[in-house]
Amino acid sequence: MGTNYLQNPGTLKIDLMLQGLRSTDRSITDSSENSGLDIVLPGGIRVNVPCGGVFTRNSPYELIKTGKGYAVTDGDDSIKVTLAGNPAFYSRQTKSGVRFSDIATVHGSYVVITPQSGCEFFEEGIECTYCAGNFDKDGPGRVFSIDDILEVVEAVKKEKIAGIIYLSIGFSKGSDGGIQFLTPYIEAIKKFFNVLVAVEALPPKRNQWIDHTYAIGADSILYNIEIFDKELFEVICPGRSKLIGRNRYLNALKYAATVFPSGTVASHLIVGLEPPGSTRMGIDYLTDMGVVPILPIYRPAAGRALRIEPLTTEIILPVYRHLYKTVRDRKINMNWVRDISVITTPIEGRALFGDGDKEGSKFFESFYKSRLGRKTAWGLSTLRRKLRVKGAAGPPDETGGSGAKSGEGDD
Amino acid sequence: MGVEIDRRPLWLLLIIKAARPIFFATLAVIFYYLVVLPLPEGLSAPGRNAIAIFILCLVLWVSNVLPLAITSLFAIVLVPLLGVLSRKETYSIFGNEAVFFILGAFILAGAVMNSGISNRLSLGIMTRFGGEPRRLVLSIFFLAAILSFFMSEHAVAAMLFPIVFEIAKGLGLRPGKSNYGKLLFLALAWGCVIGGVATFLGGARVPLAVGILNESTGLTINFLTYTLAVIPLVLVMMVVASFLLLRIFPIEITDVSRAHTLLYARIQSMGKVSVREYSVGFILIATVLSWMFLGEHVGLASIALAAVVVLFVFKLVKWKDIEEYVNWGIVLMYGGAITLGTALERSGAAEWVATRTIGEWGTSPVAVIAIFSLLTLLLTEGISNAAVIAILLPIGIGIAGKFNMDPTLVTYAIAIPAGLAFSLPMSTPANAIAVSSHYITVRELIKSGLIMSVTAWIVFNLVANYYWPLLGLWGN
Repeated sequence: MGTNYLQNPGTLKIDLMLQGLRSTDRSITDSSENSGLDIVLPGGIRVNVPCGGVFTRNSPYELIKTGKGYAVTDGDDSIKVTLAGNPAFYSRQTKSGVRFSDIATVHGSYVVITPQSGCEFFEEGIECTYCAGNFDKDGPGRVFSIDDILEVVEAVKKEKIAGIIYLSIGFSKGSDGGIQFLTPYIEAIKKFFNVLVAVEALPPKRNQWIDHTYAIGADSILYNIEIFDKELFEVICPGRSKLIGRNRYLNALKYAATVFPSGTVASHLIVGLEPPGSTRMGIDYLTDMGVVPILPIYRPAAGRALRIEPLTTEIILPVYRHLYKTVRDRKINMNWVRDISVITTPIEGRALFGDGDKEGSKFFESFYKSRLGRKTAWGLSTLRRKLRVKGAAGPPDETGGSGAKSGEGDD
Repeated sequence: MGVEIDRRPLWLLLIIKAARPIFFATLAVIFYYLVVLPLPEGLSAPGRNAIAIFILCLVLWVSNVLPLAITSLFAIVLVPLLGVLSRKETYSIFGNEAVFFILGAFILAGAVMNSGISNRLSLGIMTRFGGEPRRLVLSIFFLAAILSFFMSEHAVAAMLFPIVFEIAKGLGLRPGKSNYGKLLFLALAWGCVIGGVATFLGGARVPLAVGILNESTGLTINFLTYTLAVIPLVLVMMVVASFLLLRIFPIEITDVSRAHTLLYARIQSMGKVSVREYSVGFILIATVLSWMFLGEHVGLASIALAAVVVLFVFKLVKWKDIEEYVNWGIVLMYGGAITLGTALERSGAAEWVATRTIGEWGTSPVAVIAIFSLLTLLLTEGISNAAVIAILLPIGIGIAGKFNMDPTLVTYAIAIPAGLAFSLPMSTPANAIAVSSHYITVRELIKSGLIMSVTAWIVFNLVANYYWPLLGLWGN
């Protein structure tokens, strides 16, 4: 089956994410054991592939050395690929002695930073069942200082490896969805660097926090509902269901789409944890609100409570085609969520239709990836904020006395 | 205060944001165009530049895009820069006597308010005379008017507002519904406006006008002469206002004893009159008498500043208390306006403009007075009364020359109506304060104010034509 996908980087990305990649090179398999191997497919499509280990033993794909470069082969055919390699800053330490690689992980054009590694769902035993434990299971978790984070961002900027700083946070019991904790980090990054900041948080109880998130400098927001099916959401994400509620997720996303620019409000729908039809319904629902669905692929892994047989590429591909077509038809900007190695973004769906080779697409593609393109995106995002935001960007009044309507009681 | 997200279309927000830079860029282009225009017959280059600066300031004062004081400072920068006057001349005019008189008057008013004597006086008068609804309204009106003879009408309005508001609340009057509530606040606003024109002390506009007159012509108007000239107008307007106040909105209540009790409680809580109150009151009376009888010899500003010194010598007031009462913006604005007015006069620009504008329409001195008083009344409803004076007076002085009139007549014709703004909340703080109470609406203010404005214009012209000759003001 692999040969069917090898020549199309869009389909190959999905198949590689599902099946992984074998390699006989121990240096490669050892270094990518935990975080996967980032490779660049033809057309500049980045993919994070499980490499080595039990999971990839039966993969039809193998990474082979070809002269100075590398290729992926399925035994019959092969295509040239590039290894993204680890950024140089991974090997450095902050002034306080923290390894940069402990703080940040580069996934294509995104640098993912989790300033606090705690998630209170674990304390109550209601964590998401697919969660492999990126967050500490006991206590509040490790907290990185603002100075540490700023050092990392400075290194990222110097190496010019990524254009977007992606800050994420686990669940905490406050009404702000974690934004109050992230606020000084976002403000500090925005104060010292001209970079775009994406924030992955939990939906706050009141919409004023969403206004606040935009006002302090977040250029993009993600409230990840993960599962669209109501019953499965309750089973797979008990904490999110019990303490936040599916409706609040949807209402917060709907509201955020009226605050943030087109294409910058996103939500994960994990492919493989619910029937493909349900994921398609989720895509339709989210895009109707102006939200970009992001579809990570479920991969079973050791340490996760949930053990489900992953779907096959044949089943998944129509879902991604539907994603691309729906986002395009709803005229939602696809250029924000792009070049992420761990997920297939809507814009990469173009490759599934063969649209990615058009001259116009290539031109815009190279512009968005260029330094000028990144500066333009930052400039426009900043200008839009200056025009839209009125008043002082202080934390919302917890009494709910003014501002945007409360989202409480949505459930 | 929280964040608000403006959801209007981005193109609209961009246009709104760009409006200010576009405005300034356009203004700069127009200004440049005016400065490089070929010289028309009879106008010197400094005169042309003075007119260009005047137009620039006129637009900025009227549009309020910059604070009034900043526009004035800008004028001071441009006048020597474009060769209208020398730097030395420009800055010495800024230090005009009128500016220091205004400063002294602000400090004096601050001391009076800070001592509590004005508050005590107000409460005392209202308790004494406000025993029934009509008398209470009239006592508020007359109190506001008489206090505005001696201190800034803005300060009087601000001082009396909480008391009147408390009375309205104490009587259970419904905002927007109660006729009596409307009358209370209308009485406050009209009292301040009418009383404010009676002396030099009701506002800083008369000193500003006198300052411009003095710098331009060397002539001056003294405290007593001004008050004598204006008092018939003030008295007639007070009578008209009293008549209107009792008829314009039928009074729906018959008993104000609750207000009386409230006022009495307030005055009781103030305790006995302190030495400080007596002393400040004494200094105020002595200052006013000195302005009336010694003003011409000693100078109004010198008397004002001497009174200030005495206040501080006897520790009747602290600088910290005074700072909040001194409106430095107004002081700077007046300095700049006087400088610009003088620049227009000395460069010959005022005369040139006058002969080609109002000079063409005015057929006689009487018509000139009528035109200027009408123009002033109209303009002062929309823009700051000081700005009206700064705009019209230099031209008015030029016109006076054309008709061989005494320039002081035109000064009266502009300085007095400039204070008579009855119709709009933006025209004077007294109106704004009345509307802010929510007892009276803007529409009601306009409706009743129009009657007062028309009456004021007619009475002013009658006074100017039939009373002023008795004072010898048409002597030239």
